[in-house]
Amino acid sequence: MTDVFEYIQFVLAPQMITGLALGVAVVLVAIGLTIIFGLLDVINMAHGEFYAVGAYVALALGTSGVSFWLLLIIVPLIMIPIGYIVERGLIQRVFNMPDRHVTTLLLTFGLGLVVEEALKVVFGPNTQRPATPIPGAIEVMGIILPTYRLFLIAVGFAIVAAVAIVVNKTRLGALVRAAAFDRNMAASLGVPVSLVFAGTFAFGVALAGLAGVLLAPIYSVFPTMGRDFVFLAFTVVIVGGMGSISGAVVAGLLITQVQAISSLIVSPVWSDPIVFSIMVLVLVVRPQGLFGRLGHA
Amino acid sequence: MLRKTVVLTSLLATAAFTGPAIAADPIKIGVVTPLSGTYTGIGQQVRWGLELATKEVNAAGGIMGRQIELIFEDEEANPAVAVQKAEKLFEVQKVDFLTGTVNSGSTLAVGQTAERAGKLIATTVSFADSITGDKCSPNVFRVNARAGQQSTALAAWVVKQKPKAKVYFLGPDYEMGRSTVSTFKKTVEGLGAVSAGEVFAPLDSKDYTQYFGQLRQAKPEVLYTSVAGNDTVRLLTQMQDFGLLGNMLVVGASGTVTSQNITAVGAAANGFGTGVGYSTQIDSPENKKFVDAFKAANKADPDLYGADSYGLIYFYKAAVEKAKSTATDKVRDAMRGLDWMTPQGKKTMRAGDHQAVQPMYVVRVNDGQFKIVGNVSGEEAVGADICTRF
Amino acid sequence: MRDNVTAAPVVDRLALAMRASHVLVAIFVVAGLVFATVGVAMKDTFFLRLATEALIFAGLALSVDILLGYSGLLSLGQALYFGLGAYVAAVVLKEIPSFWVAMGAALVASLVVSILAGLIANRVRGVYFALVTFGLAQVAAKAVYNTRALGASDGMIGVPIVPIDLGVATVMSNSPAGFFLFTLAFIVVLYAISAYLLDTPFGRVLLAIRANERRVPSLGYSTRNARLAAYVLAAVVAALSGALYPMLRGFVSPELLFFTTSGNAVITVVTGGVGTLAGALYGSVILTVLKSVIGSMTEHHLIVIGLLFMVTVIFLPKGLMGFIRPSIERLIGGGSR
Repeated sequence: MTDVFEYIQFVLAPQMITGLALGVAVVLVAIGLTIIFGLLDVINMAHGEFYAVGAYVALALGTSGVSFWLLLIIVPLIMIPIGYIVERGLIQRVFNMPDRHVTTLLLTFGLGLVVEEALKVVFGPNTQRPATPIPGAIEVMGIILPTYRLFLIAVGFAIVAAVAIVVNKTRLGALVRAAAFDRNMAASLGVPVSLVFAGTFAFGVALAGLAGVLLAPIYSVFPTMGRDFVFLAFTVVIVGGMGSISGAVVAGLLITQVQAISSLIVSPVWSDPIVFSIMVLVLVVRPQGLFGRLGHA
Repeated sequence: MLRKTVVLTSLLATAAFTGPAIAADPIKIGVVTPLSGTYTGIGQQVRWGLELATKEVNAAGGIMGRQIELIFEDEEANPAVAVQKAEKLFEVQKVDFLTGTVNSGSTLAVGQTAERAGKLIATTVSFADSITGDKCSPNVFRVNARAGQQSTALAAWVVKQKPKAKVYFLGPDYEMGRSTVSTFKKTVEGLGAVSAGEVFAPLDSKDYTQYFGQLRQAKPEVLYTSVAGNDTVRLLTQMQDFGLLGNMLVVGASGTVTSQNITAVGAAANGFGTGVGYSTQIDSPENKKFVDAFKAANKADPDLYGADSYGLIYFYKAAVEKAKSTATDKVRDAMRGLDWMTPQGKKTMRAGDHQAVQPMYVVRVNDGQFKIVGNVSGEEAVGADICTRF
Repeated sequence: MRDNVTAAPVVDRLALAMRASHVLVAIFVVAGLVFATVGVAMKDTFFLRLATEALIFAGLALSVDILLGYSGLLSLGQALYFGLGAYVAAVVLKEIPSFWVAMGAALVASLVVSILAGLIANRVRGVYFALVTFGLAQVAAKAVYNTRALGASDGMIGVPIVPIDLGVATVMSNSPAGFFLFTLAFIVVLYAISAYLLDTPFGRVLLAIRANERRVPSLGYSTRNARLAAYVLAAVVAALSGALYPMLRGFVSPELLFFTTSGNAVITVVTGGVGTLAGALYGSVILTVLKSVIGSMTEHHLIVIGLLFMVTVIFLPKGLMGFIRPSIERLIGGGSR
């Protein structure tokens, strides 16, 4: 019996808690992705690179003395104009072409390539890492929990809740949802659609940048870091339902728990195929995802 | 750009040194190395090492009065690109010799291309045992230490520190990572250590914390890991966050903590030990001279890749001078059994499998620097010659 | 005569476009023959073999275009079939050094795998299709990367040089000009078969699905079968092209299945022109030349290629062929208008 308890205490519980931290990280990346898709109907393949840009900006500012707490505000503010320019300057140029999905996917794929290489030129190819802002760990019932991860879990949930409130409860969110549901109808009712679109894209990019600031101390910073999360984030978005915030949260936490537990029971090497199978299964059984699309209830 | 500058400098050098006489054609050495992609950092060290040695050799009159010209091509750490670029260097640039490949797949594939083209190559980085083992080629030489040499040295040191140690193994879950772990496991168990368990995490794992439960439960004295690059940064810093580094001896493969990621690992790298063929700490006049020149030229410390690449130019020079020719067969004969001097001391190219024999060191990280804590003689570390092709 | 003109204007335009593609491929072949002649005269090996590689990757791009250009489905994992063909051919050739056995094995393997995978991938469309194909290729690449019998991360070297017995002549796979001409012919045959099939009612059904999938069943066609057939055709084209790779280079490595390979094929098709088939061939040559030239000048060639690609997507959505083909169409179609 003690073996079972030891297993739960030392193996299963830590596994699930660290899985939760990873889940929050994935949700943070996925949420911008899902909002951009839900509203603009655009597949942002460069989302991972925006996450990387956020992390690098944080790293550069952090080295020159800006405090971590300030970065949490400054970096998203820096990312907003970047996102705005990308939407107006690139996405809008192909927005009305036939096959919007494919065209925007290709365009952002190209953008991702360029950004990744540019990061390499500017910051060099080697891995870098900012210091952990809140060092130390607390011990609960023999389980060691690093303070920063607990902070990440708490902040992550706070951010997601704030985003959900903005999108679902405020007037601004109503404009966004209206534009997502029927662009022309919203425009004829006086919604500044193009501003809403660019603003939402910028908002999604800012969220990716914020995820970069928060995750850099744990996952470190390197030019290809964007690729790490993006496939998992896409899976989360698909399983949760493209454009659904609650879907992204549920799917993100669910998938990372499945990953954490399956790597214990089966073997870590199978966790990718398992996640992929979940994605395929959801697509086959419920193509709209667990929760349906933004603006489509 | 890079290539142009190198060509330009060597052209200038050629003009300067052989100006009045009829300039002999330069000896062309092709360098197919990752200048972009995953291994860019290693490619940089390779380039710096080769360029430094080339500058020195050229300044001292070249090889048999001929200047060396380096021609770089980016292989993107992809064998398919490496082979294409190698063929370009062989057929269009007509290089006399080729080096630079980093990942073992590229070295094996380029080695085969060289064999079919009747040229010679050498790797200064790849450490897969197969290159000078069951997949050896008469046209491929290795001047750096292979995985087996590294783990022999490390295992000997580990059991000396902690006799009958309980060792836990953590590797990246792909073939190379698994075989590195199994080689070390076999060696260290042969010396009396016992296994406390093993786990393999997928390559590019974001989070290693999920394995820490099993690790703590196993209560090992020594942790051996063969993760590399970014994975090391995550593993070691996460272990530090979880307070696991305190009373455990952490050791690993030579590619685990390198000059490319040691800054990012930071304090979490302290105490990490590994077996390598080079350290900047080697106390010899040759090494001091090399380290100073390298730092002056590149504003960075050399690592094992930079040092082995530097030594390669002297290896080739010695071989060509002994052969009095750059013809493949003559140079190959000259290279077999050749002794030559490098920053890490005298190396010998074993004739039977084209593997360099060299003294091995065990180094431990102390405040971002590798300090030598032990060494094993070349003969002891090199292992059996299992190449049967020539 | 009058009836003909008024009855089928749409079909006429499609047929005309296809004929224009044929003309462009004919020009491509002539250019290839000139290139081979010059190459032989200059005793070149590198450029001939580089061009052969460009042709092999043109086959992969052709396969992407069959899906993207005809059923509107973007595959981000077509390297799966390219790599499958390459690995099957390599394994077979190391045991039985026969060209035809290797090609046959690659054909059978790609048929089996693509029918199974097609049943999964064809249940979804649009972005979802892109992500499912991407995921499938990732899983396959990881499996190869981990399988010691397939050389794992190091790949497999030692694929022998094989004679290709064509009945009338035998070409050695290491003869630069011979294997180049053979590959040129082979890729043109793959083009011709694809073009023929896509010009039949089957191709029209695909185009109809692309335009409006819901209405197609009401015309009496099965969309599922047509889409699966397109998927399998694309897979076979990719696998047969891939099977030539180890013959040319003598090795295979898991990088052949990686996303870089799939992504390059997509870049090739978009640059050349989606839905033209001929664009895949031209695109592959352009990309190979660009990579070779820029790659030797700067290690940041990906920035240049990425920017060029973005410019193409924005300003030349129909690629190079969208630029050239209309004038060819006017030239050959001038009489009938």
